[in-house]
Amino acid sequence: MAMVAKLIAMLGTPQYTRDRCITGIHGLDEITRGGIPYGATVLVGGTCGSGKTTLTMEFLVHGAQMGEACAYFAATEPSVKLLENIRQYTFFDMEMVDKGLINVFDMDVLYSWLGLTKATFDRDDINSLVKAITDIVNTIGVTRLVIDSVTTLCYKIPNDQLIRDFLFTLGKTLATQGCTSFLVAEITSAGAKAHWSSFGVEEAILDGIMVMGDIDRMGHLLRFLQVVKMRGTDHSRAKYALELTPMGVMMTPMLKWGVDAT
Amino acid sequence: MELDQRIAEQLTEITLNSSMQIRCGSSNSFLVSASVIEPLINEFQMGGVYICASRPAPELIATFTEIGVPVGGVQFIDCVSSALLGGTENQYTNISYVDSPIMLESILLKTLYRLRQMPTEQNFVILDSVNALAIYNEERMLAEYLHTFINTFRARNILSGIVTVPDQTPPSVLANLDLYCTDLIDRGQVVIS
Repeated sequence: MAMVAKLIAMLGTPQYTRDRCITGIHGLDEITRGGIPYGATVLVGGTCGSGKTTLTMEFLVHGAQMGEACAYFAATEPSVKLLENIRQYTFFDMEMVDKGLINVFDMDVLYSWLGLTKATFDRDDINSLVKAITDIVNTIGVTRLVIDSVTTLCYKIPNDQLIRDFLFTLGKTLATQGCTSFLVAEITSAGAKAHWSSFGVEEAILDGIMVMGDIDRMGHLLRFLQVVKMRGTDHSRAKYALELTPMGVMMTPMLKWGVDAT
Repeated sequence: MELDQRIAEQLTEITLNSSMQIRCGSSNSFLVSASVIEPLINEFQMGGVYICASRPAPELIATFTEIGVPVGGVQFIDCVSSALLGGTENQYTNISYVDSPIMLESILLKTLYRLRQMPTEQNFVILDSVNALAIYNEERMLAEYLHTFINTFRARNILSGIVTVPDQTPPSVLANLDLYCTDLIDRGQVVIS
């Protein structure tokens, strides 16, 4: 009798679900069953030309459209060039930058501002970098953040332990601030035996991993996205074909007979 | 060229979430396609997307225009012209190009993108043709694609039509079309051998 009562009580208890950050990206919120858990730090690992920058920028744009303050740290290309490239998309509106809803920072400028002129960073340099990013997040009230790419940044960090510490501290600090973050990683292959990150340590620490790459179908490259890991939510782990349209990213499940990643 | 009025009559009985299998012969495929889209545009005031896998879109647009089918409000997804150097240079602004008919998911996504931009409330999608896709795609993949294709548009209340020349369509693909499609417009030729 007590067992039955316990079972009824269990069934009656609503299941706890974490608050979600609605990405607004076509298909992605369905894949993650309602959005990315708030405060998660997600690794977006992808090969060149797979759409990482467009996807992460669109993530910020949808945040800005809902009045959220967003920050984009550009480490692979100057912000001016980045904005020129992204302006071709109809989802992007330069007014969001002018109004301070999307804040784009050049990592090179940040480095020189912090006096980080050395080729490699030591622990103190890393701490001051994390503090600078956190200060920006606090000052502006950033709730969505992108670092593109964390790989370029990690090249300056001499060993795996320091990379691990940097990402762990950064992720923890951003989560405390309620900031949902996409850290872009450049990978050379998105195939079955590939690492999801450049250094192989990022993937274990971060809350989520999304992989972007190409399927070679008889000499034609078809973009795909796959959510490999996402703590705090159920999610699809299938491959989705991805198309970059002027309106932004669009996705559809990849044909099962057509999946053969290279 | 005189359009087939019986097709227009048949279309009055078809609902928005229908999926039509449009059977034609190798010599009347254009007439049948034109007979389907003309009433959809003129009588039902629909917009839509026309996927050209058999012939380049500029050639089709020119022929439709010549026979008086107004296709200015129709978006074309051209899977042929990119394979021909210089094939994409033309005056038409309502054409999107897909590199190859093997990029099946790209065709679907480009179609969905164009449909999102349509000013018309009621829209159609015509896939012309299964036979052209079968040249490039393996049977199992094509059958899977048609299953996804038909259900994607049915779920969105978009009328879909799939053009096929039955006696040249792989049997398993044809069997799947018979199974998934809700309506049949049959103008296929009978082959006597």
